[in-house]
Amino acid sequence: MDPLKTYLGRLVLEELTPVVMVLTTPLVEDSCRKNGLGFVDMLLPFSVFKKFDVPVRTVNDQPYRLQMFKLRMVYASDVRQPNYEAAKEHLKQVVHDSGEKALSDLLSDPPQLETVLSNSESDLCPQWIQTFNKELIRTLSFSEHETFDHPVACLLVVSSKDEQPINKFVDIFNTNQLPSLLNDGLMDPKILKHYVLLHDNQDSSPEKATHILAEMRNTFGPNDCKLLCINSATEDVNNKGFSSVPYKTHGFLGEDIARCLNLEDLKSIKDFMQDLNSNHIIPFMEQKIRILNQQVATTRKGFRNQIKNLWWRKGKDDLPEDPSGSTYTFSSIETQIRILGDYAFILQDYELALSNYRLLSTDYKLDKAWKRYAGVQEMSGLCYFMLDQSRKEAEYCMENAFSTYLRVGSSGQRYASRCGLWWAEMLKARAQYREASGVYFRISIEEPSLHAAVMLEQAAGCYLLSKPPLLRKYGFHLILAGNRYYISDQIKHAIRAYRNALFVYSENAWSYINDHVHFNVGRWYGFLGMFDVAINHMLEVLACGHQSLATQSTFLNDFFHFVQRLGKSFDVCKLQLPVINLFSLKIVYEDHRTYASTADVDVTESLWQALEEEMVPVSTVRANWLDSQPKSSSRKDDDFSICVAGEAVKVEVELKNPLQISISVSSISLICELSASSEASTIDRSVSSAEVQEDTNLMKTSFCSDQKGENSSFTLSKIDVELGGGETKRVQLEVTPKVEGVLKLVGLRWTLSDSVVGYQHFETDAKKKHKKGKRSKHSWKSSLNLIVIKGIPKLEGRVDGFPTKTFAGDLRLLMLSLRNHSEYSLKNIRMKVSHPRFLIPANSADIHEDFPQCLEKQRQMENKDASGNAKNLSRSAFFSFPNDVTIRGGETFSWPLWFHSGSSGNISLYMSIYYEMEGGSSDMTYRTLRMNYNLEVLPSLDISFLISPWPSRLQEYFVRMDVVNRTISETFLLHQLSCVGNQLVISALPSCNSICSMQEIFAGQTLSCFFKLKVLMTGEKNEESVQGSDMLLSSAISNDMLLDVSRSPLSDFHYQERYHQGKLVKGYQSLLDFIMISKMVSSNLDSEEGPNQLLLSNHACHCSISRTSPIWWLMDGPRTIYHEFSSSFCEIDLQLTIHNCSNSLVSIRVATFDSMLETTQSSDAVHLSDNSNDQGGWYDVSLTNDIKLISNVQGSRSQKRLSESTPPFVWSALSSTQLAMEPASTAKLPLKIFVFSPGTYNLSNYELHWKIQPQGEGITDEVKNKSSSGLGQGHPFYLTVLQAP
Amino acid sequence: MASTACFVIVSRNDIPIYEAEVGSVLKKEEAAHLHQFILHAALDIVQDLAWTTSAMFLKSVDRFNDLVVSVYVTAGHTRLMLLHDSRNEDGIKSFFQDVHELYLKILLNPLYLPGSRITSSHFDTKVRALARKYL
Repeated sequence: MDPLKTYLGRLVLEELTPVVMVLTTPLVEDSCRKNGLGFVDMLLPFSVFKKFDVPVRTVNDQPYRLQMFKLRMVYASDVRQPNYEAAKEHLKQVVHDSGEKALSDLLSDPPQLETVLSNSESDLCPQWIQTFNKELIRTLSFSEHETFDHPVACLLVVSSKDEQPINKFVDIFNTNQLPSLLNDGLMDPKILKHYVLLHDNQDSSPEKATHILAEMRNTFGPNDCKLLCINSATEDVNNKGFSSVPYKTHGFLGEDIARCLNLEDLKSIKDFMQDLNSNHIIPFMEQKIRILNQQVATTRKGFRNQIKNLWWRKGKDDLPEDPSGSTYTFSSIETQIRILGDYAFILQDYELALSNYRLLSTDYKLDKAWKRYAGVQEMSGLCYFMLDQSRKEAEYCMENAFSTYLRVGSSGQRYASRCGLWWAEMLKARAQYREASGVYFRISIEEPSLHAAVMLEQAAGCYLLSKPPLLRKYGFHLILAGNRYYISDQIKHAIRAYRNALFVYSENAWSYINDHVHFNVGRWYGFLGMFDVAINHMLEVLACGHQSLATQSTFLNDFFHFVQRLGKSFDVCKLQLPVINLFSLKIVYEDHRTYASTADVDVTESLWQALEEEMVPVSTVRANWLDSQPKSSSRKDDDFSICVAGEAVKVEVELKNPLQISISVSSISLICELSASSEASTIDRSVSSAEVQEDTNLMKTSFCSDQKGENSSFTLSKIDVELGGGETKRVQLEVTPKVEGVLKLVGLRWTLSDSVVGYQHFETDAKKKHKKGKRSKHSWKSSLNLIVIKGIPKLEGRVDGFPTKTFAGDLRLLMLSLRNHSEYSLKNIRMKVSHPRFLIPANSADIHEDFPQCLEKQRQMENKDASGNAKNLSRSAFFSFPNDVTIRGGETFSWPLWFHSGSSGNISLYMSIYYEMEGGSSDMTYRTLRMNYNLEVLPSLDISFLISPWPSRLQEYFVRMDVVNRTISETFLLHQLSCVGNQLVISALPSCNSICSMQEIFAGQTLSCFFKLKVLMTGEKNEESVQGSDMLLSSAISNDMLLDVSRSPLSDFHYQERYHQGKLVKGYQSLLDFIMISKMVSSNLDSEEGPNQLLLSNHACHCSISRTSPIWWLMDGPRTIYHEFSSSFCEIDLQLTIHNCSNSLVSIRVATFDSMLETTQSSDAVHLSDNSNDQGGWYDVSLTNDIKLISNVQGSRSQKRLSESTPPFVWSALSSTQLAMEPASTAKLPLKIFVFSPGTYNLSNYELHWKIQPQGEGITDEVKNKSSSGLGQGHPFYLTVLQAP
Repeated sequence: MASTACFVIVSRNDIPIYEAEVGSVLKKEEAAHLHQFILHAALDIVQDLAWTTSAMFLKSVDRFNDLVVSVYVTAGHTRLMLLHDSRNEDGIKSFFQDVHELYLKILLNPLYLPGSRITSSHFDTKVRALARKYL
């Protein structure tokens, strides 16, 4: 690669050129100013020599040719280091000017990846950046440690109008006015001088000038004097255009530029410059190089000189180091070498320059003159580059220079920047972009923010140019640059930088980056007053849930501020606040199925269908058995959901506020389209095809449907919501179509904080779902398009006073009220309830009666009503209202319902009411109203019964009732205990009146009561009828009447309870049922309940009689007998009554024995007690255990006694009797004893061995629970025989 | 413990799936996006470096001022990136290896969709504990 063709090569040739110092008199400037130019400006276009082609010979004998050369003409007053602050201002101006030009770009779309990658280098590094770089380098000219800025020649210009021009020439080269470089001795004051006499042709004829010139030649020598004539142009306008052309290319713009110059003048200036350059400056430099080279060669070249130099330098080490390095004057050998190098460099003899720089760098290094050392390193780096030799060396030199400058401190810092710029350009020229960007970044660290911004932008450009492009680095450095631009008040540049980086961060995944970029771009656009663009960017950061509260509020405030400043309504598609959860979208519509409340819709459809199965007529006839799916009446119904005109379609959707700040969302409404019914069929078909175009039309349709909103065929509901920080709310929106047709739900719109209107389309999401499967898409599609038909008026229904929380056993009368809002009347009403255990319809007569008085026993009521109800038990689940019941338009129809909470737990009750319209035409035949009530039933009283046989009475039982109050704080008043069954009579134990009178049971209290139950043997058992005996427990309150358990609803509920509890209890069937009726004294549960007492009825069904054996026996006979023992022994007849209580055949053997066996008794006793332990609930502890203990102790004692002597009595007849007994039969067995002496006898020494005969299915249960055979010890029976008087 | 340390797991799709500030210095609001910027930019370097070596631990790949980015690339090209200002290379390596193990356990969860955000709080506490231990 030719270094001269690179940018850096050109830059070096342009910038490192000989400086010509110009000294002028004021009159010279006056003459030039007629053209709107200074003297230097006038010469400027002609100081560049392209296609120059001049032979140059420096130290080598072989001359070479210069292709391009340039002179820098500088006023003597400018030959000094520029003021740093002024330079900064100048650079700022450069940046600012370019920013103004870029303004138009900011309105266009930000660049995309493809366009950025296709950009060439020049696009990335625009002209103004190059200008900036150049200007930055120029601000560092005329430094003290470098010599290439030292003037090579001095141009002394005096006007012909000046008085005594010769003296003037001497005056202006007065040392007082010369730049400090010359005065301080840093520079050789003996420089080439060139004397120019400027003659203004407008002022006078050139004769005087030639005269002066001749005089000058005499004084200063013939070669160094020149006459320059300008302003020869007359007022003729023709020349003007041509003469100003060269100036315009150098940036001099204006009307009067070069006004007075004609082509002659220009030519003469050009010739003058050419002559100055080739005849004076270059030869002077050649000569100087040769002289200096000679000097250097004699003092420094050669082995001897090197040794000497080293020795001498060593001695200098001890001297204190001067940081400014001003010890080097122009006459010092180091400066001379430097001048030699620089001159050689300027004359493009880079090898000579390099050798001298190398020589010099070791010297400076030894002297620790670091700034100078760095300068030399910098130049040698450039030499290497221009020679296109060792790249590594070049980079090493540059890096060395750069770091050395930085090491020097603040004075070297800006030189480091210049060096860095060279270095970066060098790397760029060699396509080492990544390294170049690193260099730019290093420069940016040290520079003030504006300069750093430009450097960072260049670094970013380099990252993009590297192969492969490092896009993320590009973005990052652009952001850094933008940030610096913003700090240095260049907002336009800042926006430009950020915008260019946007595409890198478009993926959105890096949340903080995304927020930072968009927020800042938006904010800066806002500063510039471009609010629409600003808002577009701000929209991106609104949903910034991950940011801190302060940041969130900043974002929101700025956003609303800009919206306010924009001052007009603002529509945003897909506004991110609040977040609409489209997956939560639920559309509730009512076709023939209607719902009492929205909560009922959530119940699974299959549950309703199962409930309505019998009630709803099957609309279609199946063609054959293969048609498992009944065909619907019209195909349309399959694809579309149906809704009824005039009834609201509800859409539920979740709104989420991702922020910690609360936001207000107002007028949330649906966007809908309704096409009239005539178009319905066409739309049906075109929906799928229209799908494709929908996206483009979407905006339009949403707007027009919105405008239609006022007068159109549907009405929309509007909802205002305040969303707190992080809150999620479900909103329900409604659309009510007024005419038949196809209703399409398009989307959702809302207003955020009364300023921004956002909308969201449902359709877009449906497409996303398309990927997941055809089915889901289909369901979406169908639910978003609804066919509106004319339907049957909707019935509204509710159950008044339905409790949400109650206690188990709660019995109450509820009122079902159905309201018909339309003018049509409805008929054929039916109802079905899912849990007849909890809810049954009452008689229409019940409505007029008071509760609970209606339940009280009325003697005059005949029983047929009750039995009639009892037979029709299936009606409780499915209930047809009487045929004459119609609900006329506008009427409210009420029907009583009985409610009884059977079991505790959470219960969902479903009710469905079917109705048809009387007369009238409609698209529907029937509708159903579905109601769902959830209630929580708390446990109240737990009742358990234990029934055990009365040991001494036949067909009488002990009943022990255990009542536990399971509530936390309630008190119950026991009211009544009823025993269900015709032949049962329950009564209080005569001795236990005190227990029964305790009718109040407090929370957590346990109460046991004992009753006597008697089975009436008359009449046969009728299970169906609910008849029994009642017993009032609350004897204290006299006015309370017994409740009739044999009437509806108690009998109905009892039947249900019996059914449900029967499911749980297996085994003994057809046992005893009890109903316990209690009242709650105080209720904290429902405040609305008021003073009314809760009536509770607890049902305990299938209570079994606890027995240890299937048989039951009783010894009967006289207790006291007077007998004359002297005549004979006493003969006593006894009777043993045996009852078979089991439902299977039992064979019984009665064995009597005169002496008892100990083993048998004791083992049997244990067995008995074991058996009783097995029984759940409670058991007769006192009886059994006492017997066991007593018999064990006493029995063993008596045995001993008995075995010793003869027994005082003997059993007559057989020692054992065998008999078989049918189930539930009674047998009487006669027994006889002989007593030999008076006394009291315990006739318990007999045993009953029983064995259950395997017979039919009855035994299976029996066998499972009990042993199939057993032994019964005789009950104690005391007989007193007395001597007759 | 490093005064500044930002740990990020970047999925193969260049999306951060786990982010944690594990430095002892309290997180500044300003630093959050700067850390993301540096780590995001470092992905470019990782992209080049990852294919030049068979080692998973790439040591420090990039730096911004005094912040250094160390990277560990798993076999599935998930990148564990740590932005830090300390120079404890051994500790960082151990930290990466242990976090890699934790990450594998996350991957083994059949309910975790690879490339999706790691929301497990258990993972979070474990990573922070490891950071305290090694960094």
